Amino acid sequence: MKRQLPLLLTFLAGTIPIVAFFVPQRHVGLVSTNLDSWLIIVAGFALLLGVVNVIQMNANKIRRQAPGWPYAIVLLLGLAIMGFFGFAGAFNVFGGIATRPDGSSTPFDWLYKYGFLPLQGTMFALLAFFMASASYRAFRARNPEATILLVAALIVMFGRIPFGEMVSPWFPRVTEWIMSKPNMAAQRGIMIGAALGAASMALRVILGIERSYLGLGKGE
Amino acid sequence: MNLERVMQVDRRIIYLFIAIGTILPILFVIGLPVSITPPVQMAFDRIENQLQKGDVVLISFDYGPSSAPENAPMADAFLRHCFSKGIKVVVIALYPLGGLSEAVNEVSKVAAEFPELEYGVDYVNLGYKDGAQAAMKKMAENIHEVFPTDMRGTPLSELPIMQNIRTYRDMKLVVSLATGIIGEWWANLVNAQFGIPVIVGPTAVSAPKYYAYLEAKQMAGLLGGLKGASEYERLVVEKYPKLAEVYATPGLYTATKGMDVQSIVHMIMIAFIVLGNIVYFTSRKKPRKAS
Amino acid sequence: MPSLGTWLAAFFTLCMLSFLYKDNPFFRLAESFFAGLSLGYYIGIVMNQTLKPNLVLPLIHDFGANWNLVFAAGLGVILYFRYIKRVAWVSRWALAVYVGYYVGVNMMQKLHGEVIPQIGDSMLSLSYSGVGTLWNLIMVVGVLSVLIYFYFSVEHKGLIGGISRIGIWFLMISFGAAFGYTVMGRISLLIGRMVFLVNEWAKPLIGSIT
Repeated sequence: MKRQLPLLLTFLAGTIPIVAFFVPQRHVGLVSTNLDSWLIIVAGFALLLGVVNVIQMNANKIRRQAPGWPYAIVLLLGLAIMGFFGFAGAFNVFGGIATRPDGSSTPFDWLYKYGFLPLQGTMFALLAFFMASASYRAFRARNPEATILLVAALIVMFGRIPFGEMVSPWFPRVTEWIMSKPNMAAQRGIMIGAALGAASMALRVILGIERSYLGLGKGE
Repeated sequence: MNLERVMQVDRRIIYLFIAIGTILPILFVIGLPVSITPPVQMAFDRIENQLQKGDVVLISFDYGPSSAPENAPMADAFLRHCFSKGIKVVVIALYPLGGLSEAVNEVSKVAAEFPELEYGVDYVNLGYKDGAQAAMKKMAENIHEVFPTDMRGTPLSELPIMQNIRTYRDMKLVVSLATGIIGEWWANLVNAQFGIPVIVGPTAVSAPKYYAYLEAKQMAGLLGGLKGASEYERLVVEKYPKLAEVYATPGLYTATKGMDVQSIVHMIMIAFIVLGNIVYFTSRKKPRKAS
Repeated sequence: MPSLGTWLAAFFTLCMLSFLYKDNPFFRLAESFFAGLSLGYYIGIVMNQTLKPNLVLPLIHDFGANWNLVFAAGLGVILYFRYIKRVAWVSRWALAVYVGYYVGVNMMQKLHGEVIPQIGDSMLSLSYSGVGTLWNLIMVVGVLSVLIYFYFSVEHKGLIGGISRIGIWFLMISFGAAFGYTVMGRISLLIGRMVFLVNEWAKPLIGSIT
């Protein structure tokens, strides 16, 4: 029961969308579309699983006074503040979580604009610096393959900026040709291979051959 | 020149070059022209030539702050284009980490430029929904069940724009501004299974992969990164000159202005890469010369 | 003078950028606060945009027509049983439905939405009709050679080895192009933050001082 029922549920939940794809709506519509509606709700619950996990981990860190525990307090503080306004928004306290009808920001939206957005934006902006440093130190034409990679990268980098076109109209044309012909061919090959792999993995999961997502090994 | 010292330069010197290369063109705007590429032209032509006033377009905000500098200008350009042409816009968000807030902020910013348009009649923001693929599948059957209310909680039955919109069949086009995989799902799930044309504006990091979908006609157009956004801005301004005033607003971040900075920093990076390779090849040859 | 919100955003931006000099407590503080804010954001959007309009309100307003949503709620709640040791095994039921559904959807998506159209579009005419034939040949050779490169069940030597090598060249062109685009993408993110710092914080600040 503990092991077989989940596998049966996986089989049913996986087969219904597949059957619904081939069988006319009127025969499987009710089951299939109800499942779609349910999974929107279950996905919401699943998204919050991570929140519980992080609260647990950081609470333990604070309790044990593990290295870096003050930062765990900061994390939980951020979570509490944003979470409070998000939770309150569900009851229309403070005007919700978007902007109010008059255009002013609710606390949730204000925290997003002046807290979350600059923090995440800058975190990703740092990558530009790291990329420049890494390219300078490591991007070498060591062999024919690396040379092809380097030349293609330089052509695309130059062809995609206005300077490239000012030097010669051939740069943007060659860049576009690279993107739509050899790059497209390679991406297509990768896509087909990856899609076939993903589809076969999906079949293994539906048929119960692959069980690691349940925390079960092959023999269990 | 001591080649080893050149290669061992402190990384913070490189960071400084990048920082200066970014800040100077922001302070001193150059105004470099942007050329149009076929994928962006296709996207523009789809809306400009194949849609009529009153048609409905679904715009999905599938990005967050991690790629807002690239995707937000695309969103603004699409919204301005649709509003200028009188196309009705239904906005949704499927990206959990910021999609809703980006949709709220960009739509309210652009809608303020068109005071003659009315919320609920000419455009609507249905908000965010979890379970992206489940939501996409369910929207083919009944959008009102996926989004029972708009983002503020107003039932769809009270919004005139949504009276005749039930499924993808009641819309002419989907535009997805995407970071990550959600843009692909619009092409390989929604377009493949339900036939509605899809335009995707992915980040530059993801853009190369989308060429395969574009060539296979699973997409009606493609805006790759900041360059794609700047091209679309140019097309929109050329067609609707009134928008030139908006884009010329001092201090307003636009993709076209961003391309100035992009050009300078690209040149800096190309110079670093070329310098690194020159030093590499020179240092490889030197021991042979000595012997 | 910049507003309080702009000051806060500038502070957080500079804290993050300080990492470029070296790791420091300001960066750690900003990083931890960011992690907390993002989780709090999840709480807000899930409660307001999914659970309230799609679960709670339909059950309250018309239970008769929406009673089946109780099962969805049940599955969602069961997911959290994993944190209670005695009944953790029950959470596997919800996980099984969740994973099974998305895996089923994904399978059809991949086969119908990727494999078939991409293979179909690769069936290009190779009969001579000008320069287009050359491009078609490049695309067909590219797709086939890349697929053969990724076929590891056969040793890559002889003819297969030669074709794999061509596949590698196509992959290198693609990765080079991807690198070029990635550079553009990363720089765009930096531009966004710098535009904020210069136009919305530094300029108004200097303007108010001078």
